[in-house]
Amino acid sequence: MATLEINNLHARVAEEGGERILRGVDLTVNSGEIHALMGPNGSGKSTTAKVIAGHPAYEVTEGEILLHLDDEDVADVDVDLDDEDYHWELLELEPNERAALGIFLGFQYPAEIEGVTMTNFLRQALNAKADEREELFEDEDEDEESAEADADDEGYDTSPMEGPADDGEIGVAEFQEILSEKMELLDMDEKFMQRYLNAGFSGGEKKQNEVLQAAMLEPAVAVLDEIDSGLDIDRLQDVSKGINALRDEQGTGILQITHYQRILDYVEPDHVHVMLDGEVAKSGGAELAEQLEDEGYDWVREEAFADA
Amino acid sequence: MSTKAIESLSEDTVRRIADERDEPEWLLETRLDALSALETADLPDVIQTPGRLWTDLESLDFESLVDPLNQSDATERGGGDDDVVVLPFTEAFDEYGDVIEANFGSVLDPEHNYLTALSVALFTTGTFVYVPEGVDVEDVTVRAEMNSRSLFSQTLVVAEESSSVTILEAIESGDDEAAVEGDRYFSNLVEIVAGENSNVQFGSLQNLDTDTYTYSLKRAVTDTYATVDWIESNFGSKLTRSDVETELNGDGSESQIVGTFFGTDDQHFDINARVWHQAEQTTADLVTRGVLDDVARSVYEGVQDVGEDAWNTSSYQRENTLMLSDDAEADASPKLIIHNHDTEASHSATVGQVDAEDLFYLESRSIDSRTARNMLVEGFFVPVLEEIAVDEFRDDVQELVLRRLQ
Repeated sequence: MATLEINNLHARVAEEGGERILRGVDLTVNSGEIHALMGPNGSGKSTTAKVIAGHPAYEVTEGEILLHLDDEDVADVDVDLDDEDYHWELLELEPNERAALGIFLGFQYPAEIEGVTMTNFLRQALNAKADEREELFEDEDEDEESAEADADDEGYDTSPMEGPADDGEIGVAEFQEILSEKMELLDMDEKFMQRYLNAGFSGGEKKQNEVLQAAMLEPAVAVLDEIDSGLDIDRLQDVSKGINALRDEQGTGILQITHYQRILDYVEPDHVHVMLDGEVAKSGGAELAEQLEDEGYDWVREEAFADA
Repeated sequence: MSTKAIESLSEDTVRRIADERDEPEWLLETRLDALSALETADLPDVIQTPGRLWTDLESLDFESLVDPLNQSDATERGGGDDDVVVLPFTEAFDEYGDVIEANFGSVLDPEHNYLTALSVALFTTGTFVYVPEGVDVEDVTVRAEMNSRSLFSQTLVVAEESSSVTILEAIESGDDEAAVEGDRYFSNLVEIVAGENSNVQFGSLQNLDTDTYTYSLKRAVTDTYATVDWIESNFGSKLTRSDVETELNGDGSESQIVGTFFGTDDQHFDINARVWHQAEQTTADLVTRGVLDDVARSVYEGVQDVGEDAWNTSSYQRENTLMLSDDAEADASPKLIIHNHDTEASHSATVGQVDAEDLFYLESRSIDSRTARNMLVEGFFVPVLEEIAVDEFRDDVQELVLRRLQ
């Protein structure tokens, strides 16, 4: 089981005099759990998501983000975890390394990337993840087989338009099979794969694509930033089915940022957290989301002030 | 202004070139006229921004760059057959002398500027492509290697009524660099006469070594319903001045000018695309995309000139330069000149860096930052690659992009 543990996280916009946005976030998400992160605009939800993934626009001034892993999470790489508490400090890692360890960020506004087809992008990402994991765990486990990584030159020798060469990581047939299955679940047309990454996609298609990528990359924890915004009811159901499958079939832990109860009717959260002014002000079960839907956030604020 | 007299150049030099090539009298006269035009001709105009002359042609040392009697190239020409002529001029005069005489210099005045005059006076290589009426040919290739201090090349394409031809012209430096040390000069003039309802695609790939200065001017004239599509790819050379131009003289004629360049180290590209709408219902589409790394520089000028009689014109232009380094520099001037307002037109130019959000998106999917950047750069070129109809050419361009990204 993997656990994403955020302790006392403070972050600000990474520029001279940049605004302080996160003021001590504490949050723990285990694999297999669904968490909803709610709160008014500007409370720091999206920033929390981006900081977890390593967005360069934010600077962490205090706190830590840990990813705890157990044997099951590293079954694909050759490493022994004798440590009782085996974990990585994500703040010390590049965004691509965090992703390779099992952090997935579903973007509120996914980038549109011209000239890079979906097929090529997904294969590139899957192979990059496998390569990066090998490298990370080999570096970690220095006593064993450390020479292997050096010999494996990470050159960029194939065209992204053509897709990477078959270097034994993920074969074409296997890739296609997994992909077809995931796309069917999300009710996505196969024609998507020949299109350029998100370019000209509708709002709903982009969100489906985010969930598809999570399904392909099989993360330990997926942080989904307003995956439900701008979706019609059919797409909302497709996307919800996809999110539930992440949890049910791959044991992914979900941290779902949303403003609305609506998606929570389809993706039932085990835990609900409310952010206010850069902190998690209140946590509870699914009933908390319903209460927020009915009563707004003011009472949470009052309660938080009363406690303070 | 002017002139850059080249002391070693004389009538005798020009006569020797013409003699050795056994050229007809009219061509010798044309060369001699061009030679004497050097006395008054100006260098091509270059873009100036306040306090800055972007491309400094004035300081080119032609005295040492120009070595007219030792020009050497190795050129392979493919695609010629019973229907279509693809020959060096020297082998074409006997049979096609009249066609050559009627068209040579008709599109591009040899005395257009100092560099064109120099080129016409001294050229020793090049190709004559003749596509007779109704003939359709897809794979004309001219692959040349430059093996001398200077090389002057001249190409003439005559596409007759309802013919269709795709031409790929590539130039690179030969292997025996030891033979010529130091700076070199390559000059390339291309004329296309596109007859009624003809269709010409002309792709050019310049990948000379970075000791070479390159001047290239390519111009087409279209008859009624003719289409001329240019693809101008510049990867090599220390300094490249490239002009690609179409005069849309026939009603309903069209031209697309697609440009790509990729500069590294201290390469300099001066890229120009121009179209003159001079008839009714003509269409032009100018698309250029370039990437600059290290301290490379580019300056772009695009001109869409809509003449008084150009009713119902459609004219589009866009140029994008992607900077991979903070020390690279680019300037772009898209120009739209309209004398007939029955025109649908657009023009734009952007200079920007790799989008940080795009980069982060790819990185958040496990892709390392270098690979992510390279994917974005390759993707940036895709819209222009898609315009290249010839697979072989597209593969070449893609290969050169990849090589620069490594």
